[in-house]
Amino acid sequence: KGGLAWSRAWVAMVAQTPVPENVLKKRKTQERLNAQKVAEAAEAKKAKIQKTRTIFKRAEAYVKEYRAQERQLVRLRREAKRTGNFFVEPEAKLLFVIRIRGINAMHPKTKKILQLLRLRQIHNGVFLKANKATINMLRKVEPYVAYGYPSLKTVRELIYKRGFGKSGPGKDRIPLADNTTIEEALGKHDILCIEDLIHEIYTVGPSFKEANNFLWPFKLSSPSGGFKQITTHFVEGGDAGNREQLINELISRMN
Amino acid sequence: PEHEDTQHLGIMAARPLVTLHDANGPTANTVPLPAVFTAPIRPDVVQFVHTCMAKNKRQAYAVNVNAGKQHSAESWGTGRAVSRIPRVQGGGTHAAGAGAFGNMCRGGRMFSPNKTFRKWHVKVNVSQRRYATASALAASAVPALVMARGHRIDEVEEVPLVVDDSVEAYTKTSVAIELLQKLGAKQDVDKCSASKKLRAGKGKMRNRRYTMRRGPLIIYKGGGKDAIERAFRNIPGVELCSVDRLNLLQLAPGGHLGRFCVWTQSAFGALDELFGTHEKKSEVKSGFSLPRPMMCNADLGRLINSDEVQSIVRPVRKPVKRSNLKKNPLKNFAAMEKLNPAAATAKRRALKKEALAKKAREETLKAKRAGTYAVPEKVKAEKKAAKKIGKQFFNAAIRGTDVI
Repeated sequence: KGGLAWSRAWVAMVAQTPVPENVLKKRKTQERLNAQKVAEAAEAKKAKIQKTRTIFKRAEAYVKEYRAQERQLVRLRREAKRTGNFFVEPEAKLLFVIRIRGINAMHPKTKKILQLLRLRQIHNGVFLKANKATINMLRKVEPYVAYGYPSLKTVRELIYKRGFGKSGPGKDRIPLADNTTIEEALGKHDILCIEDLIHEIYTVGPSFKEANNFLWPFKLSSPSGGFKQITTHFVEGGDAGNREQLINELISRMN
Repeated sequence: PEHEDTQHLGIMAARPLVTLHDANGPTANTVPLPAVFTAPIRPDVVQFVHTCMAKNKRQAYAVNVNAGKQHSAESWGTGRAVSRIPRVQGGGTHAAGAGAFGNMCRGGRMFSPNKTFRKWHVKVNVSQRRYATASALAASAVPALVMARGHRIDEVEEVPLVVDDSVEAYTKTSVAIELLQKLGAKQDVDKCSASKKLRAGKGKMRNRRYTMRRGPLIIYKGGGKDAIERAFRNIPGVELCSVDRLNLLQLAPGGHLGRFCVWTQSAFGALDELFGTHEKKSEVKSGFSLPRPMMCNADLGRLINSDEVQSIVRPVRKPVKRSNLKKNPLKNFAAMEKLNPAAATAKRRALKKEALAKKAREETLKAKRAGTYAVPEKVKAEKKAAKKIGKQFFNAAIRGTDVI
């Protein structure tokens, strides 16, 4: 009723009523906080773009590096053959160890060693640096594990598909869905992204210990196609122990 | 309500004024609000005191002392394929051989028979009772609470409702009803009459046949049972109460605060003497002074948004980021790109390489099928060199052995 006059009266009334003090205060603080947020967002965006560029460059560099490593080995083998020498294959630096037996009826010493290797559950897998200490540990737990030398493809696929990291004050198991998780944990070792992590693991770099420990033990599936016989050693036709390169085939069935 | 003249008093002593009503509606006169109505409203205290006080009108009940025990029952013992409960002696009646004396038996004595010496009444401390009354009175001055209790006070001009003393002289109910109509309290009374229903349950046959809502409570000082009580007592829902004998069971029926009260002027004025103010103790209730509230400023909104608090409050924490379902980057390309910005270029490069290689393969096949294929010189030369090396290696290897 009397629409225009009424709305005019309403506008006049709104213009005349004083705004409560607490509303004005809240408005001021909110404006300040919003301005702060916008500025921070702009800065964060810039930083993010820079970071993405670095990560891109690194990833491309790694591609070149891996190929160069491969080609170098080929070249050295051919060189040795040509000159009638022997080429001694480099010993593996990196191992991947999978626990293939359950937890019942175990000797306490082997149990402890498996705990130290972070293999507390069946079909758990961990990366391991190959040195005298670790090799001797593996020897002690040989009937319980299958291990070998993972290829780059295996390392990448494991970390991309089943990579989880230790994150936060409670050291929770967090999926590697974002490079920020990795950067927060390993930024101080110059590992900013997942490709950096893969590179550190595969080439067993100077921060291998931290990078590997950041990775939660891999929870693999049972192998499709099954094991041959977990109670005997690989060399006797079973599954336990060192199977060198053939670990890659097993992992592809378990990943 | 307006406030008193504050010329001679401090700001804190200014008391709100309540308009006086009479048979023609609101007058121009006002009465200052007694301090009881500013007492803290404590529903917990009122509920406690009410539940205790409500038990004081109870009458004892109990079963007969001998009920269920007037048998000479004895257990048959074991060996007769029946339970060992004591059984009624004798024969010729269907009570014979039946179990007796147990709370589980038919006709047996109940478990723990009621006794008349059960403690029916509950003693409440005087100060608690007084606190509760003060709280209930304070609540009756808050229109929101009165409405929440269910009273229909939409047409009432003001709460608390104070009427001048001429009401105390009324003797005719018709006049009383007219007054209530003028005051706007008739709606509440009508609600009561409309709500009269048969009680659900056995109370019907125990002299509590009907239930009805409670209406306004008329509080008076003078007049008494020959005047004001006579006028108002027959109106359904209306109750009367002398200000000298305020009853919590009427001020907060059911333990619920906010009874709609109609005061006469002298009753209203007597409250300051009865309950005292924040400055002086009560003259009538010995040793009683009004309860003090816990907080002087109960406005939490203002407290939280005050400068003093906001200036030292820490900023809002960012909520903890929880991980969503993990997407497999090897299958989900968006997830892959998030992790590896170079994935797209790598993929493009691989596809290009594959396309080139495919094209080259097609051409060699075509050439081979057409018979025009020729192995490139470079490849031929490499193959030759490799073969040479191999042969050398082999010859060096078999030197001195008897392999031909």
